[in-house]
Amino acid sequence: MVDFFIGLFLASLITALFTTRLYRLLVWYSFNSLTLGVLALLIGIKIDDNAMLITGIATIVIKAIAIPYFLKSFSQKFHFIRQIQPNIKIQYAIILIPAILVFTFYLAKPITHMIANNSNYVAISISSLFLSLLLMMEHKNVAPKITGFLSMENSLFLLGITATNGMPMLVELGIFFDLLMAIVVINLLFRREEMKNA
Amino acid sequence: MIFYITTIILLLLLAPILLSFIKSLKMLLLFKRPAPLLQGYKNFAKLMQKETIVSQETSSITTYAPFLVLSPLLVTMFFLPPIVHGAFYVSFVDAFTITGLISLSTFFLMLLGLDSASAFGGIGSSREAFISALVEPAMVLTVFSVSMMAGDLGIGQAGVNLAEHFPKEHMASFLFAGISFFILLVAENGRIPVDNPETHLELTMVHEAMILDLSGVYLAIIETAASVKFVIFASLFVSLFIPVGLEYSAPIAILIFIAKLFGVAIAVAILEVNTAKLRLFKVPNLLGISIVFAFLSLITFYVLGA
Amino acid sequence: MLELLLFPAFIIFGLSFIKSDKAKRLLAFVSFLILIPTVKLISLPKPFHLFKDYLVVDDLNAYILFVSSIVGIGVTLALMTLDKHVKVSKNAYRRFYRFFAIFWIGLIFSILSNNMGIYWIGLELATLSTVYMIKTNHSTAAYKEAWNYMIVGAIAISLILFGIILIYASAKPILGEDAMNFNLLLAHAKEIKSSFLFELGFATVSVGMFVKMGFFPMNLWLANIERASFYPVAALFSGILESAIIIGFFRFSKIAMEINYDHLFTFVFIYTILTIFIVSFLIYRAKDFMRLFSLSGIEHMALIALFWVSGGTFAALLHFGAHAFLKPALFLSTGVLESNGKYKIAGALKGYKGKKGTIFWFLVSLFLLAIISLPPSPMFFSEIYGFGAMIKVAKSGDNLLSMMAAILILLILLSVIFYKFVEVYQSMKYEGKVYEKKVYVTELFSLIIFGISLIILITSPVMNYLRGIS
Repeated sequence: MVDFFIGLFLASLITALFTTRLYRLLVWYSFNSLTLGVLALLIGIKIDDNAMLITGIATIVIKAIAIPYFLKSFSQKFHFIRQIQPNIKIQYAIILIPAILVFTFYLAKPITHMIANNSNYVAISISSLFLSLLLMMEHKNVAPKITGFLSMENSLFLLGITATNGMPMLVELGIFFDLLMAIVVINLLFRREEMKNA
Repeated sequence: MIFYITTIILLLLLAPILLSFIKSLKMLLLFKRPAPLLQGYKNFAKLMQKETIVSQETSSITTYAPFLVLSPLLVTMFFLPPIVHGAFYVSFVDAFTITGLISLSTFFLMLLGLDSASAFGGIGSSREAFISALVEPAMVLTVFSVSMMAGDLGIGQAGVNLAEHFPKEHMASFLFAGISFFILLVAENGRIPVDNPETHLELTMVHEAMILDLSGVYLAIIETAASVKFVIFASLFVSLFIPVGLEYSAPIAILIFIAKLFGVAIAVAILEVNTAKLRLFKVPNLLGISIVFAFLSLITFYVLGA
Repeated sequence: MLELLLFPAFIIFGLSFIKSDKAKRLLAFVSFLILIPTVKLISLPKPFHLFKDYLVVDDLNAYILFVSSIVGIGVTLALMTLDKHVKVSKNAYRRFYRFFAIFWIGLIFSILSNNMGIYWIGLELATLSTVYMIKTNHSTAAYKEAWNYMIVGAIAISLILFGIILIYASAKPILGEDAMNFNLLLAHAKEIKSSFLFELGFATVSVGMFVKMGFFPMNLWLANIERASFYPVAALFSGILESAIIIGFFRFSKIAMEINYDHLFTFVFIYTILTIFIVSFLIYRAKDFMRLFSLSGIEHMALIALFWVSGGTFAALLHFGAHAFLKPALFLSTGVLESNGKYKIAGALKGYKGKKGTIFWFLVSLFLLAIISLPPSPMFFSEIYGFGAMIKVAKSGDNLLSMMAAILILLILLSVIFYKFVEVYQSMKYEGKVYEKKVYVTELFSLIIFGISLIILITSPVMNYLRGIS
């Protein structure tokens, strides 16, 4: 079952790479976070770790619901451009994405021998890290770049829960706090811009 | 053997019903009065009675191309994975053969479109060529990857293997292949994000443009071919990606199979209601996703074994 | 003790909401409070457990926090007369202080942390708050650069977290949940089984840090940001934020030294030499003060990293301290030199009349000559010690010759920088026209603070303290 969700995680990220609409992108991001949260819950139940359950629930609440909602409300408040055409042409993306995947899978091969359980997931989280970087690179607008940053956070989180069976509780909560702080700063950055235009 | 024959006849009978089912479900979802489920048969009967008019510009291709469109698909039906435990099946046919047969049918369809020498036939054929060129690699990769997971290159055998011991450890790559195949199912059968089978608007037509000049028996054959193609894809999808229900006794297994087919039809109908048709030059995006997923499934399976 | 450390930040945060003119002056003086607890920290017996095992004070981070707090005070002093040199709204002022408070909180956590996770959280908090500080300048360039910083900083920070997770994964089998603890990790470094995983994590962490410090290949983004933002922000960047990053580098590389010293040394060595190579020519082509100084900041950070991994702890720390005092001082004086929006180098030092003016240009010349490590400057000593440490490392391996060659190349590159700075200085002093220019007491005062701190740095008690840090 964990395999299934990890597949969904990567699948939603790849689909996000091809998206040309902002709201659709947010939906995919939210779905991505949702699968992440479910994964955390599943692994948490499997290894009987309460901290992981809490982070799973926090992921679902914060990343899958709150942050996409905030971003959507920002986009309405500050009139983002909602058509987000990737800079990289689709023909090249079709070649580039599998190339990245193959590269990262082989890159992660030596690591997978060193981690006892869930070794494959390390490869997938590294590749999703690269794909999120690609998501940041292929867009000129700010909003998809933010989404790319957030999904990068997601893939790091995936690495955290799969490679290490969860980081210490305090650290994970701190990361969530920082994420919310990032959202606040993003909001402020947009707000000033609007005041100047007005 | 009896199940083998029954399955094929069942699929043939179901084919028009499935398409009518999608249509009526869509109408229901759009708050219209739904068309009856047997509309496909009614259309068929009506077309058979109608006079067949062939344009004078056409060559002899028009007279036999419709049969050549249908026949590879009919052949393909014999190679599908079994739906009942212990039934006869053809085990040696692999991804390339199935894809080849389907594209053979597409090839004659395109020829048919070109043969009428009308402007519509030309655009329809060129668009179809454009789409199917992208569909084929993805299809080969997907089916290939699933058969690798099942441990046998033959599709029939793969279906059986998957049903007997489902590869739980390859769930991720299985999922990718499933996503890819579903996109192919939508694209190859001319359903909404790629093509709209219900309109005759020149900007959007693909399939309809090619058969615009046909009438009577020929049109009936082509329509049958379209529905058979859908049922082939749907049954491949359900037996490869939802391999459950084979272990029950024959009647129940058949019922489960039919239910799964209708499930696919429901999924397609919901997708059609909820999405707008893509611009033709956006279609590669969708198929690109499909190719990426197909490839991803293969490398995930090979490199990671997940 | 932790409350005492965080208290000034909270006061600044609270005061920043008051909308009166007096608050501005008050804020500057309140920020003096940040010095008191840091002085206390130095005098405490080490290691001092500030907050369980998460925040532990030792000689190294007490020193770095102390340096940072002096820089912070100097910057806030200079901030009082910011509006005399550039256009800045009152709102922006208060916002600046508000985010300075958050920045300081993040900084305390990251510098004093004994836990990779806490370190990262503090660093991220500090980074995010500086994003907004850039934005206090209401120009299009600043807006663009704020976003740029947000993106690049996010990538760099994410790389650091990625590496931290890998390191944690490598050490978890032997240490469990405590694998985040720096001290424990250092003590048990030899027992880590999957050293490849650790080294991969370390490489990722250091690449993230190098990106954030503007090393090769991301040389220009830091310079662009510091150009676009107000000069106190640039001073904060070079003086404080980089110290938070470099302490992380110190800690991580110390563990990496235990794992595989050769890999670490080769990696950092190549990276820094490449960086200095590129930066020296970029400096040669620099056309305004901000870029010049920020590029030279990159050069010095590279030198510090190089000295540290060569085992020249003392040299690295001395260099770090000198750089942390000199660079903000230079950035602040840049603000004065460029006060009317002119980027001109020629004649920048001319036209300062009166007692204040004379002291100002004298101090600026001193700082300029100190940053290129002319003898009485602490940088001179630190570089001598640093190169000594490098040769010592080479002696113990047997690649003395290649090390000599590398040092020679480094010296040539440094002399390129030296040449450029001398040229800039001459142009400032002897070329161009004379305009009447003004300098204010607070700025002068902050420059004097930096000057005095520099002198104190080369007194023997401080030197001994630094030598005591292992």
